[in-house]
Parts: sequence; C-alpha cells; structure tokens
Amino acid sequence: MLETLAQAVINGLLIGGIYALVSIGVTLIFGVVKIVNFAQGEFVMIGMYITFFLASRFGIDPLVSLGVSIPVLFVVGALLQHFLIRRVLGLGDMPQIFLTFALSLLLMNVALLLFTANYRTVHTAYSDESIHLGALYVPVAKLIAFALAMAFSGILWLFLHATDLGKAMRAAAQNPDVAMLMGINPHRVFAVAFGAALALAGAAGSLLMPFYPASPMAGQVFVLMAFVAVVLGTLGNVTGALIASLMMGIAESLGIQFVGADSGLIVVFVMLLLTLAIRPTGLAGGRAR
Amino acid sequence: MTDKHRTWLWLGALTAIVLVLPLLVTNRFATDIFIRILLFAFIGVAWNLMGGYAKQLSLGHAAYFGLGAYTSTILEIRFGISPWLGMVAGGVVAMLASLPIGWLCFRLRGPYFAIATIATAQVLMLLFLKFRDFAWGAEGTTIPNFGDAPLMMQFDDKSSYYYVALGLLALGLIITYRIEHSWMGYYLVAIGEDEDAAEAVGVNAPRIKRDIYMISAFLTALAGTFYVQYIYFIDPATAFSFNISVEAALVSIVGGIGTLWGPVVGTVLLETTSALLQSWLGSSAGGVQLTVYSLILIAVILWRPSGLLGVFSDVYRRMTRARPPRAEEALLDG
Repeated sequence: MLETLAQAVINGLLIGGIYALVSIGVTLIFGVVKIVNFAQGEFVMIGMYITFFLASRFGIDPLVSLGVSIPVLFVVGALLQHFLIRRVLGLGDMPQIFLTFALSLLLMNVALLLFTANYRTVHTAYSDESIHLGALYVPVAKLIAFALAMAFSGILWLFLHATDLGKAMRAAAQNPDVAMLMGINPHRVFAVAFGAALALAGAAGSLLMPFYPASPMAGQVFVLMAFVAVVLGTLGNVTGALIASLMMGIAESLGIQFVGADSGLIVVFVMLLLTLAIRPTGLAGGRAR
Repeated sequence: MTDKHRTWLWLGALTAIVLVLPLLVTNRFATDIFIRILLFAFIGVAWNLMGGYAKQLSLGHAAYFGLGAYTSTILEIRFGISPWLGMVAGGVVAMLASLPIGWLCFRLRGPYFAIATIATAQVLMLLFLKFRDFAWGAEGTTIPNFGDAPLMMQFDDKSSYYYVALGLLALGLIITYRIEHSWMGYYLVAIGEDEDAAEAVGVNAPRIKRDIYMISAFLTALAGTFYVQYIYFIDPATAFSFNISVEAALVSIVGGIGTLWGPVVGTVLLETTSALLQSWLGSSAGGVQLTVYSLILIAVILWRPSGLLGVFSDVYRRMTRARPPRAEEALLDG
C-alpha cells in the first residue's frame, strides 16, 4: 500500500516536471503579454513532431533534438507575437481568447492533415530502462525529462532575475507604461517572452518523445493541465505555476492509481473547481483576474 | 419606405422562405444541412445571450447540451416520458446546474472564465462515462424507434425535424429580441463593456450574470434533446462534445457577437462552407473543415472583430441609401 502510494507519487512528480514546462510558458505569456495562449499545447505537439521526424529520418536522439526544437520554437514564438498576437493586444477578451484558440484549432487540424491521426513513437535505448530503489522503480526516460525540465525552469528563472532583458521583462509585466518610460521596448520584450514560452513548450515536446506518443491532439492534455496549474499557482507567477504543476502531476497519478485509470483528469478538474470554490485567488493568494 | 417597414418586409420574406423551404427542397442531404444550420444557429443564439451581450465567453456550453440530451433520454427510456416533456425537464436541469457552475466559474474573468467552463463540461462528460447503471456509460445507447410518433418527437420525414428546429430557433430569437429591448439587455451590454464600471453605477452584475446564464443554459439544453432525438443515439462523447461548445461560440463570433442575427449569419456561412467542403472532399473533410473554420475565425478577428453581419448590413445600407453609413456601429466592437 505504502509502496503503491510512493510509486504513484514518483510517477506523478516526474510527469509534473513536463507539466511545469508548459505551465511556466503559459504563465510567462500571461504575466508579460497579458494574454492566455490557448495554443500552448499545440507547440508541445510541434516539438514532438520535430523530434519524431529528426529521430525517424536521421536517427537523432530526442535529447539531441532539443537543440533544434528549442531554437525553432523560440523563433516561431517571436514571429507569432510580432505579426499576429500584437494585433489584438488591448482589444478586449474576445479577440485575445479566440485568436489563440483559433490558432490552436488550426495547428491541430493542419497536423491532422499532414501527419494523420496515427500515434508516432520514438524508441530510444533508455526508453524501457528504469532505476530500482528497493521495491520502487524510476523510469530513466522520465527521470531525464524531469531533470532537464527542472534545469530549463531554473535557467528561465535565472534569465528573469539575473539578466537585463529578463529584468526588463519583469518590469514590462509589472507596469508596461512605466517600463516604456524607462526605455524598455515593450514589443521586443513581448516577442522574447512569447519566444521563450514556446521554446519551453518545444523542449517539453522533445523530452516527452522517448516515452509519450505524438499525435495531432497530444498537446490538449498538457494545455489543460497548464491552465489548471496557472490558476492554482496564482496567475502570472512562475514559481507558483511550477509548484502547482508538480502537485497536479502527483494528484493525477494518485487519481489514476486509487480512483481508476480514466480518473486522472477528473481529479485535476475537480482540484481546479474546488480551488475556485475555496480559494478563488489561487493557492498563493493574489487577484483572480 | 422607412427603415422599420423595410425590416418587416425582409423579416416577412425570410419567414416565408424558411417556411416553404422543405417543400421546395426534398433532397435528404440538403434537408439535413438545413436542420444542422437551424440547430447550430439556435445553440449560437443561446450562447450569444451570455457570451455576446454580457461578454462572458463560455467554452463549456456542451455541459448544458449534454444535460438536456441525457435528461430527456433517461426520462424517455427509463420512464417512458415523452421527449417533449423531457426537453423542458432537461432545460430545468440545465438551469439548476448553471447555478453552482456559474457560482464557481464567475469567480474568474475573461480567459480563465472560459477555461473553468471547459473544465465543468469535461467533468460532466467524465462523470457520465462512469454512470454505467442509469446512463449507459461510454457505450451510450440508441433511442428506441417508435416509427412516426410525433408525440415522442419522432418523425418519418426529415421536414418535421426541420420545423421543430425552426421553432427552437424562432424561440431563441424572440427571447433574444425581448431581452435586447429590456432593461436586462442594457445591463448585459454594460457588464460586457466594463463589469466594474457597470457595478459602480449600480448594476447588480452577479445577479444579472446568473440570470442570463440560466436562460442560456435552458435554451442550450433544448438543443441537446432535439439533437439526440434527431440522430437516435447518445453517448457522453457526443452529448458533451467539446465541438458543441466551440461551434456555439464560433458561429456567434463569425456572424457578429452580441447581435440578434449574428449567430444565424455565422452558422449559415460556416455550415454552408462545411457542407461544400464535405461534398468536394468526402470523408477527409474532418481536418479540412476545422482548418477552414479556424482560418475564417482568425480572419474575422483580425479584420472584422464585430462579425460579418456588419459587412452585410454595410453593403445593404450602401444599396438602399445614397450616403455612406455613419460610424454608429462602432458600438458593436465593444
């Protein structure tokens, strides 16, 4: 019983690391650009397909293809922000929600047309390996994914707190008008933030590939998880999103273990609704807006 | 001829056309498309009451569609109650369900309200997958066929379904028209423009939002009952389909959010596009259809966020008036 519990917590924590990469991206865009990117999951999906094609055509290891998926998605993000998202900033909820929502629908269905609905998998030498800790086992691929996800989150945190551009980003997030007066170009900052968020999604895609199949709809679960994590972790708060993601990974895994295989999502959604009922401002406090 | 006369003339002509349409077009494929247009226009109208006028952008209206569908089906199969009564019962169930759901989701605003509504519809779908004993679980069930039984909302000819759907749409439009021209309509628009400002001038925003959510949920549930009666099948994936939530919002936005006829115009455009794609491409149209829908949506948001209805009324006004229209419809942009 205790071992099952510990095993479920390990599994949940490991996948929670991936959720964190997606959530941090969503919360970064929300915090800086002030929009919710409904298409964030689709960029995880794109990262997965990039990794899949590099692996199947050129035999490149998913971890090596991080070197492709991260920069490609960074550029895609910066361009998207510059040419598309920018046009709806300050226009109210409807255009902002439905532009990224339409983008999500578009990417999913274009992927469906190009790649069909088939599940694509990449098998690596470490896909089936696991480390045994007494009665518990830790899958190596998930452990690597978790460790790198935490490393990328750490790098983002350092970038936000230790570099001029990162500080400019946080300044623009707090008060875009004053930031502009201080000589910060908000559009450049927004493009970098959007790019960085998508780069994280791309990294999540590559990290998932050794143990998770790619499909056009693969991003949906991750974006739903990210939304819940961002609400739980107080909107726009990077550390909050990270902690909430790990908690949700664990909650989902416990749900699967103790309620039923198809109950993972119920547990997560119920967590969201309960949080709204009890503490509408998120676990860390702040404004529910 | 004054504008008012013209409006009545158009409305009369339109009514006459939609009433005789099934007599002129007897092709089953075409009638099926007309029924889909009427049904989705009705769902769009129901969504638009809350999403359009009050700008509470729900992406979870499938919750009420599904509750309506399941209520009438359970009442019919388990208790032999006519879906006509079941339809009203479903509406009431949806209204009651909208109270706790609204209580939770209205704590959030804007995009996070939309996300919370997605979660509620998903939770209901996942729950109905679990309710194997009284709601048939994931396999769903077919609706017993009584042949030509108007009292059980079952008809031999498709044109009867057409008139039922037309009646629903007319109901939705009349309710919208009445609300639009009442104090509630003005309160809704005020909330849609700026909720805090509306509250500051004494609009009881939580109560208005709760009330309009109840009306919107009730109407959406009627559509759910009609739909399962029409396709003779129900399962959680159909009844709580995310596509229902999406299409409800999409037709309203493409047509014109917060306008009486917007959802109707949007549905005619989108469903006609979809039907044409389907006849050209056959079964591969699934991905193509949503690709085209999303491109239309992006185009509308970037170039005409007030919806395509405005484009048509501009053209119409140019044709009927010598002078170009004044900037009055800027109000629609919100």
